[in-house]
Amino acid sequence: MKAFSEFMVLEPRTIEEAIAAKTEVSGSRYIAGGTDLIANLRRGLDDPTLLIDVRHISRLQSMDFTAAGLTIGSAIVLAELARDKRLRRRYPALSAAAAAVAAPAHREAATVGGNLSLDTRCLYYNESAWWREANGFCLKHRGVTCHIAPGGTRCWAAYSGDLAPALLVYRAEVEIADESGTRRVPLSELFEDDGAAHLRLAPGGLVVSVRLPHDPWPAAYAKVRLRSAIDFPLVGVAVAMRVKNKRVRDLRVALTGVASRPVLVHDTNTFVGSVLSTAALDRLCDLVQKQISPMRTTAATPFYRRRVAAVIVRRLVSELAG
Amino acid sequence: MSGAAGRRTPLLDGIEKVTGRARYTADLATPDALVAAILRSPFPHAKIISIDVSAARALPGVRAVITGDDCATPYGVLPIAMNEFPLARERIRYRGEPLAAVAATDAKTAAQALRLIELRVEEIPAYYDAADARQKNAVLLHEDKPGNIEREVHQEFGDVETGFASADLVLERTYRYAEVNQAHLELNATLAEYDAERDRLTLWSSTQVPYYLHLAVARCLQLEKHQVHVIKPQVGGGFGARTEALNFEIICALLARAASGKVLLRLSREETFLTHRGRPQTEVKLKLGMRSDGRITACACEVVQRGGAYAGYGIVTILYAGALLHAIYDIPSIKYDGYRVYANLPPCGAMRGHGSVDVRHAFESLVDELAGELGLDPFAVRRANLLFAPATTPNGLRVESYGLSECLDRVEAASAWRQRRGRLGPGRGLGMACSHYVSGAAKPVHWTGEPHAVVNLRLDFDGGVTLLTGAAEIGQGSSTVMAQLAANELEIPLERIRVFAGDSMLTPKDNGSYSSRVTVMVGNATLDAARRLREKLQAALPVPNSSFDEKVAALLATEGAVTVSGSFTCPPEFQGGAHRGGAVGSTMSFSYAAQVVEVAVDVDTGIVTVEKVWVAHDCGFAINPLAVEGQVQGSISMGMGQALSEQTLHADGLPMHASMLAYGVPTIVETPPIEVHIVESLDPNGPLGAKEAGEGSLASFPPALTNAIADAIGFRAGELPVTPDRILDALTKQRRNREQIAVAQAR
Repeated sequence: MKAFSEFMVLEPRTIEEAIAAKTEVSGSRYIAGGTDLIANLRRGLDDPTLLIDVRHISRLQSMDFTAAGLTIGSAIVLAELARDKRLRRRYPALSAAAAAVAAPAHREAATVGGNLSLDTRCLYYNESAWWREANGFCLKHRGVTCHIAPGGTRCWAAYSGDLAPALLVYRAEVEIADESGTRRVPLSELFEDDGAAHLRLAPGGLVVSVRLPHDPWPAAYAKVRLRSAIDFPLVGVAVAMRVKNKRVRDLRVALTGVASRPVLVHDTNTFVGSVLSTAALDRLCDLVQKQISPMRTTAATPFYRRRVAAVIVRRLVSELAG
Repeated sequence: MSGAAGRRTPLLDGIEKVTGRARYTADLATPDALVAAILRSPFPHAKIISIDVSAARALPGVRAVITGDDCATPYGVLPIAMNEFPLARERIRYRGEPLAAVAATDAKTAAQALRLIELRVEEIPAYYDAADARQKNAVLLHEDKPGNIEREVHQEFGDVETGFASADLVLERTYRYAEVNQAHLELNATLAEYDAERDRLTLWSSTQVPYYLHLAVARCLQLEKHQVHVIKPQVGGGFGARTEALNFEIICALLARAASGKVLLRLSREETFLTHRGRPQTEVKLKLGMRSDGRITACACEVVQRGGAYAGYGIVTILYAGALLHAIYDIPSIKYDGYRVYANLPPCGAMRGHGSVDVRHAFESLVDELAGELGLDPFAVRRANLLFAPATTPNGLRVESYGLSECLDRVEAASAWRQRRGRLGPGRGLGMACSHYVSGAAKPVHWTGEPHAVVNLRLDFDGGVTLLTGAAEIGQGSSTVMAQLAANELEIPLERIRVFAGDSMLTPKDNGSYSSRVTVMVGNATLDAARRLREKLQAALPVPNSSFDEKVAALLATEGAVTVSGSFTCPPEFQGGAHRGGAVGSTMSFSYAAQVVEVAVDVDTGIVTVEKVWVAHDCGFAINPLAVEGQVQGSISMGMGQALSEQTLHADGLPMHASMLAYGVPTIVETPPIEVHIVESLDPNGPLGAKEAGEGSLASFPPALTNAIADAIGFRAGELPVTPDRILDALTKQRRNREQIAVAQAR
């Protein structure tokens, strides 16, 4: 743990004020709960001069159930999501994902926006400044080599936010604000498959809210980790599925912890119309495993993470099939 | 008797701890304290060419910069193996080894000063496992230790060859154990104040052994012992991580003198992990012979421990691993070969269950396997090999009390073993194992000829009894136990006793809190002091039915304030066998434990859930049953961490585990219901019959767990921790084997 350098904290009341500060002050960072950022600052992974605390912006603090769907402000804390009974009823995968993040004390501080824009993680990155320097730094921070794949040119640090896969299977959109204004895009467009730059945000870009459709498919979320609390997911899986007459009507699968961004599995629509036989489940698991590439970013092996990814997919699909 | 002993008693300092008022070393710094920081080596093995600190010294706000040049005296807890310097001299032997240290007016300046230090080295080959370090042409970490072997042990008691020949079944297996760390909650910290006018040094430190720290600091700073004053504030856990003077403590003292002031050195979690002193990575090759009636006929055991870069307690650890093959069962012949190996990693130490835990896992696993092969019940096999107290083991250890038989009965009944085993359904299982531990090393590492423990009781006009002890209360409850014993003997309420512990200026010297010695040794000294005080009081007013206060008044009227001293020394016959290394393992008494663990294994994810633990611990007599339960529960929790999720991992000597997130200590979510049964065998040597309670239950958890996994899924874990990926790999291998057998049979 390293002592902080001196920094200022700004508490803007409006989105515009926040974006202006972020773009004007180089080396500034947004902060909300700080459960990810503070730990990284303590390890010397950044040295901001200004922290912009976005929790005082009222638009980021609202949660609205309307006919059009559900809008969740990005500064809502995960504990509130996990506690909300309507959310648990209508969007159980999101509720379960929120309840599965870290430990109770973290969830009282950690926010929706913070979890979505969680920094990617790696054995060689989440270390102290002394450690990283002794190891020649890494591609993600101050170095030129990715120690996971030293021959390559990209960073393989893993994304491990729990909310993203649940939101992806609900076809959530995310509202992003930056200097050019505010726009809504599918959540998948927030992410890039690059561990060193996994968020597609313009300078000053801020996640304002997420919007979920009013007619969610039945969905579920589960994750595997070494301990049943605190730990980040080795793999997290969300599945949304509608079944009619024992045949798949719609199916979406998304994962976290297995790539530098959350992965929405493509070609799941090829299962529409099929009966969920053992053979079909085997094919689905193959499809999932082909589209994920866990690397040696955690102490658990990539092989293990691929295997249990399939296990969780199978379990959740079977559960939703009834 | 007031009955203060034997009563469930909340720890005396519990209120301070629960309310946050308890003050630990890092809480004691005043605003004038300088802030210290350590420059640590990025290199695993190197010759130091130069360390240039001139720019750091010139930085405004820097008050002192020291390097290995500032201390040429090596230290180490064993007088025969002092080979560590507080700051590396000439040679660097592990990544993270302290090279230089700075005291500055604030943390920022200290950090900046470290960046100004210029280090020039010549790197040499480094070794991260025992086999590499033992290779023929390996560079020696210490020139006087050929083969990078710190100590070899070869012992044979009884005739092993004949023993194996008389067995109906002999099995040999190799087991591998990851290195683990204590992960004690309070980070390492020292506050040191140097009084330049009087040439005196005061030290507050997070230590289990204030006396050993006192000796090491006086030695390294070349001060007379009377110039040093050591105070042990509240300490947040030890588990053997703080059982020897550590580099940061001496560095802080050196800095305080160099800066002529007060210096606070707080280590980060990563630095606390780097200071290490955990349980070494260990390989155990074990061979056991068993007759068809379950009697063990012979045991041959080879242990290789990767001890890290310096000696520390290493010699003792490798001796314990062999010595504690004895004194739990009646085994006619035991051969032991041990190798303690140097490697370029942080030094290991005397972690809870010192030397016994990994070997006990191997032993109890192999006994379970033998029982299975011979169609015997695991309980029956243990019962076929019980000792009968009093006994002297082949290696000269004395067993005066032995509650293992009752421990077995208690957990067998409580877990409904006979009714439930084999009937729990797929993926679920029950396993059991036994363990034991010493109640204090009978021969102290520093031989002085003095009593092993001294306690003073002070009585003055207020009628309260102040108990002065050097025993280090580190959260285990030693101060409460001493107060209970004194109150019990003096027949006064517990509230009349005030314990003052761990201040070298006022409290009698104590060797410290390690090897589970305090309850027995300091407890006996407390009883001795209390008896002396009672006799004095009785003599002052030999009137029947006179009250304690009347006696106090009579005594003070003749003598004024009174201090009596009680002491305890382990008799020579308990100090071990005559063979080389025979003192290690010797003790006044052994605790015994048996436990049953119930598990559920998720065969798709490999995740093991511990459903319930039934544990019986023979602590002789439970002076404080509440604290005994707490200690036993803590042992289970620590055993569970080592068995399931904890391990140190290094990338070319850099720790990949050095945070509480990465290291994987089990949380309360993983912690099962633990049913603790206390067995009281009333040891003749113990205070009121008491033996140790803090370590003995640990070593039986990992084997009981892996035996339960074997019962659940047929996989015998030969490697700890048994992580989910290892379980899945094993299940895959099992399935392939079955398929191959099926194919072969089809042909």
